[in-house]
Amino acid sequence: MMKFRYLLLPLALIVCAPLPAADWSVQPGARLGFEATAQGETFHGEFKTFAASIRFDPADLDGARFEVDIDLGSVDSRNSERDEMLADAAFFDSGRQPKARYVAERFVALDDGRFRAEGVLTLRGVSQPVPLAFSWQVEGEGATLKGEATLDRIAFGVGGGEWSDAEVIGHQVRVSTELSLTP
Amino acid sequence: MPWRSTDDNWGHLTRLLHWGIALAIIALAVIGLYMEAMPNSMAKLKVYALHKSLGLTVLALALVRLLWRLFDRRPAYPAAMPGWQRQLSGFTHGLLYVLMFAMPLSGWLYNSASNFPLRWFNLFRVPALSGPDPELKSLALLIHQAGFYLLAALVAVHVGAALYHHFVQRDATLARMLPGLSVPKEPR
Repeated sequence: MMKFRYLLLPLALIVCAPLPAADWSVQPGARLGFEATAQGETFHGEFKTFAASIRFDPADLDGARFEVDIDLGSVDSRNSERDEMLADAAFFDSGRQPKARYVAERFVALDDGRFRAEGVLTLRGVSQPVPLAFSWQVEGEGATLKGEATLDRIAFGVGGGEWSDAEVIGHQVRVSTELSLTP
Repeated sequence: MPWRSTDDNWGHLTRLLHWGIALAIIALAVIGLYMEAMPNSMAKLKVYALHKSLGLTVLALALVRLLWRLFDRRPAYPAAMPGWQRQLSGFTHGLLYVLMFAMPLSGWLYNSASNFPLRWFNLFRVPALSGPDPELKSLALLIHQAGFYLLAALVAVHVGAALYHHFVQRDATLARMLPGLSVPKEPR
């Protein structure tokens, strides 16, 4: 039995080596936040639970892929009444659709050294393109991704009907994320 | 009737503040009891905003009233009023003043610790008294709710005493606080 293990080790190395782009693992402390306006005031929130699988190499944008699953019930805007309201059917409807998903398979390099993921966000069963601009900072073995996106909540049906009044709840929501990644 | 109070009559300003604050407190109580059970809706947001704006108004008026009370003279108690009634009156009025401040302040604190924005009749932004803080939030709500029951009890005593003076004692205690009424000098 021992001999088999030693035989398998070099085989495993050969299988793992020729990946088209690096698969990164997300370190604890990853942040996925948003900023919106309600009743004339800006408020901040974040999703405490989300899973991101990041495959990215600046030298191989064609092989890059982001896939992020966001647990909508983990929303925290430091206001329990507002968080409960966000879970309501009129907003995230997280009882029926507990997760949102962001998938990006097309990436472009921007003039300022950053990149843009031409991803699609699926929220409340609605899929809409949401471009995410991000910086990619390599630090030793690891990397830091800092990204920003702006989306229109109305396009996803978040707060429709009587809640669609932009004077009460702004339509534009700024999303920001910061991920520490290790190989 | 002058703006300032005399030995026999409350002045215009005191009566205005008394009835203005009284009406606002009644409105606040009715709105406050009604709004909690409302389902999440735009109407609920607006009703809460109205309660908060009215409450802040009472806080400002209570401050004016307290400063004016320190400056203005006060009509005397009816000569026949026994000592224990004077003491009870002083105690009740003192607590009413405390609650005129404690109710809006605890509501404001509850709003701040809950991390809700605050605007006065949507005209200007009112700063938060604290950051988001769940423990402070529960404490502020407890003060606000207990304060409400204490206030309701005090108002009952206050109104009961006014009616007792008017209909049983038949003195000018209530009349001299009514809007526009001037009572003759009481023989002492």
